[in-house]
Amino acid sequence: MEFLGALPQVMFSGIAAGAVYALLALAMVIIYRTTEVLNFAQGDMAMMTTYVALAMIVGSGLPLYAAVPLALAFAAGLGAFAEFACLRRAKEPSVLGLIIITLGIEMIVFGFASWKWGGEPRDMPIPLSPYDGITAGGVIMSYLELITIAVAALTIGALFLFLNRSKAGLAMRATQQNRAVARLMGIRVRRVEMFAWALAAVVGGIAGLLVGPATTVEPYMMWEPMMKGFAAAVLGGMTSLPGAALGGAIIGIVENLFGYYVSTAFKSVVPFAAILLMLTVKPSGLLARHYVKKV
Amino acid sequence: MLKKLGNIAALAASLWLPLSASAAELTGVTDTEIHIAQWGPQTGPAAPWGSVARGTGMLFQMINDAGGIHGRKIVYHMFDDQYNPAKTVAGVKELVEKEPGIFAIASGVGTSPGLAVKDYLMERGIPWVGPAAGSLHWITPPQKALFAVYPLYADEAKLLVRHLVEKEGKKKIAIFYASDEYGENGHRGAVAELQRLGLTPAIEVSVNQADRDLKSHLLKLKESGADAVLMWVNPTHAVITLKTAAALQFSPQWATSSTLSDVPLMQTITGGLWKNIIFASFSELPDADVPTVTKYRAAFPKYAQQGERWGVFFMAGIGFVEPMVEGLRRAGRNLTRESFIAAMESIRDYKGVMGAISYGPGQRQGQRAVFLARTDDTGTKVTQLTPWTEVK
Amino acid sequence: MTALLALANVDTYYGPIQALRGASLAIDAGGIVAVLGANGAGKTTLLKTVMGLLDDQPDKGSIDFDGASIVGAQTEEIARRGIAYVPEGREVFRELTVLENLQAGAFSRRDDTAADLARMFGYFPRLMERRDQSAGTLSGGEQQMLAIARALMSRPRLLMLDEPSLGLSPLLVQEIFAILRTINGDGVTIFLVEQNARMALSVADRALVMEHGRFVLDGSAAEIAADPDVQEFYLGIAGEESVKGYRRYRRKKRWR
Repeated sequence: MEFLGALPQVMFSGIAAGAVYALLALAMVIIYRTTEVLNFAQGDMAMMTTYVALAMIVGSGLPLYAAVPLALAFAAGLGAFAEFACLRRAKEPSVLGLIIITLGIEMIVFGFASWKWGGEPRDMPIPLSPYDGITAGGVIMSYLELITIAVAALTIGALFLFLNRSKAGLAMRATQQNRAVARLMGIRVRRVEMFAWALAAVVGGIAGLLVGPATTVEPYMMWEPMMKGFAAAVLGGMTSLPGAALGGAIIGIVENLFGYYVSTAFKSVVPFAAILLMLTVKPSGLLARHYVKKV
Repeated sequence: MLKKLGNIAALAASLWLPLSASAAELTGVTDTEIHIAQWGPQTGPAAPWGSVARGTGMLFQMINDAGGIHGRKIVYHMFDDQYNPAKTVAGVKELVEKEPGIFAIASGVGTSPGLAVKDYLMERGIPWVGPAAGSLHWITPPQKALFAVYPLYADEAKLLVRHLVEKEGKKKIAIFYASDEYGENGHRGAVAELQRLGLTPAIEVSVNQADRDLKSHLLKLKESGADAVLMWVNPTHAVITLKTAAALQFSPQWATSSTLSDVPLMQTITGGLWKNIIFASFSELPDADVPTVTKYRAAFPKYAQQGERWGVFFMAGIGFVEPMVEGLRRAGRNLTRESFIAAMESIRDYKGVMGAISYGPGQRQGQRAVFLARTDDTGTKVTQLTPWTEVK
Repeated sequence: MTALLALANVDTYYGPIQALRGASLAIDAGGIVAVLGANGAGKTTLLKTVMGLLDDQPDKGSIDFDGASIVGAQTEEIARRGIAYVPEGREVFRELTVLENLQAGAFSRRDDTAADLARMFGYFPRLMERRDQSAGTLSGGEQQMLAIARALMSRPRLLMLDEPSLGLSPLLVQEIFAILRTINGDGVTIFLVEQNARMALSVADRALVMEHGRFVLDGSAAEIAADPDVQEFYLGIAGEESVKGYRRYRRKKRWR
């Protein structure tokens, strides 16, 4: 009985963790769908965003409500710049070449952060005690976890509305499906691609800003969340936004269940086992729709 | 004449044979220089421990400014291995096999990085003093050229467990440890001591280096009903542990190793959660008013780089290497690896910033004593709980 | 009056292969112009060159739209100047709904598109029925209708079509060509390339024949239809002998 008594708490913890993975997965999917690039710099771009927020809060004494939008604006700039300065320069790039470019961006961002702020972990101050929360049905929910889940849900919702209801979202979807024909519609696809990078960096940055206060801010802070976000994206089929969100939640819940009921030592392996399983059983992912992309 | 011939032969050999042959001859000592190396993470999750390597740098600089040792200056080669054993190996090999070689290794941060190069160094007879990690591996079995300073993690863990049970009246002690050598050493020591006291751990939970979501770990610790938790993890995990515990409204007595004894750092990076923590200390407290500490503290502003902090690890970088400096002094002008090792073996009850250090033939664990201390309710003041204590 | 679209001495290469050889052409606003030619004659290359879809091409020559050069301009900018292009094989956005496809077509416009949507549904009532279906589920004919409607949503002055009849049943082809005439009547100049010469000549006002990357015949649709070579090689109207290969051997096209 006691064994299963913790189940709701484990599930809640899993969803809180999964919310962050979902955001990172969405960020990767936004870029993958639009430009067919696997952006392995996503996590470190988010790390950089978090550092910028931290520098504004601690260094410049800005309040949180001012620092967060400014940091996200920085993220948008960073994303757009990465696309403009690095990805676009590639002449007739191969998939592998593009991945290597993103790894290069990752190293530059990581190196810069290590150089600028050092390797020591830092605390991200928020006007919220880690002790504060509510208890419902025996499940302890800290405000930070609740905010994490709420922010992730709102971001995902806003992203859906944006992609499905706005003109810019339509342009992104059109570009993703057929870049050449999108251009025939007068869609400035390069701007769309740059915008996709900016948008993804903002979504990833939100994840970073949620991870920071719950853990530490340091150059390595996003490596593990980022790999799990990637796992979530693959689980969801790499091109499906609902799939990515669902994948994030599943990874978070499954690894917490595994950690609690089976082994904490091998908990980190679970997402990658999930990828392997998914690639073996249903390579297209949970929610990916099958369509043949015209070249 | 004969010497001249030998020189020519050596020159010819160095011209004709690639590195491997000449590498064996590289001693890292010249008429004017002693080359000494150290690795230490300057970036990455273990970066807070990297100040050890910078502290050693200050010690060497002070010695050089005072004229060096028997007419030789110390040339210090420090590199950032990011606590990644593969990088440690590559860095050490490069230094050892490149002119003029390395005379000895000073300290070096971490159990896993150290283990990765231990055999390589010992096969070549390169002396190594004061690895910055409290592992049993340095002395099992004792190595001729390896002089350990850092007290054993297992001893620290035993002392902490003993204190928790006997002085704090804790009955259910859980062990939360990193799934690496460092964590295992603490884990084993704690289990052994609990056994000696006729107890079993409330629960044993290990954490993977890469993990940043510790909710399921903390939930297990909480559900075990532990009233004290021995925490043997890296600084980042300690932060996440305390934050996650707070979110789960789990507040046992935390007890932790000397690796987390940098109180101001822990207080800062936990955002003020480093309160009422019992920890083991291998050195005098950095603000202690004992002469061995005050002389370095006074010199610190002159030698330290901008942004450096007079913390326990920076100071430990001095303490781990003080015995080496003592050994170099005792070895005299005719410095060889043999004469250095003999000199090291003659050290008894050396007292620098660490606890008392003694070596002898077959005796390679220099320091056994640690003491326990506790942070107060504000997390800023530290009180010493026990005197310097040897476990057995 | 300047021509709506004017090409002069355009050379286009695909790598080392020259696909257009000094192609020159001027299209005035208002009519339907058809280009006939065999597979590989350079018809599709011609349209892609105009749209700037081929990197660093044309190699030589000038292309003016409405009196201004569009050589070297980005495809999206050329589209925004008023040329809509319906590529071969329709190329609808398969995952978007019919309505979203039409909205994507109107992307460059900032004004209200409701009237144009209504007009498209007027031309193609079937699209109205399927407006919320994803385009990938439509039949080939419906996709062609959608591709044309999508192109028209930008209110182009010139509509270029590449093989609109390809893969469609004769009945559908007739339907689509009938609508093209209606569209032309509504003020859109149409420039189409077609292998189905009979169909093309039946709607076009003017026709050109392309071979080996250059125009070899140019005239009113009636003149071209009456050309004996066109009759033989494109319309399949044979003389006494019935074996085409034999005829081909015996008779030479006079423009060669």
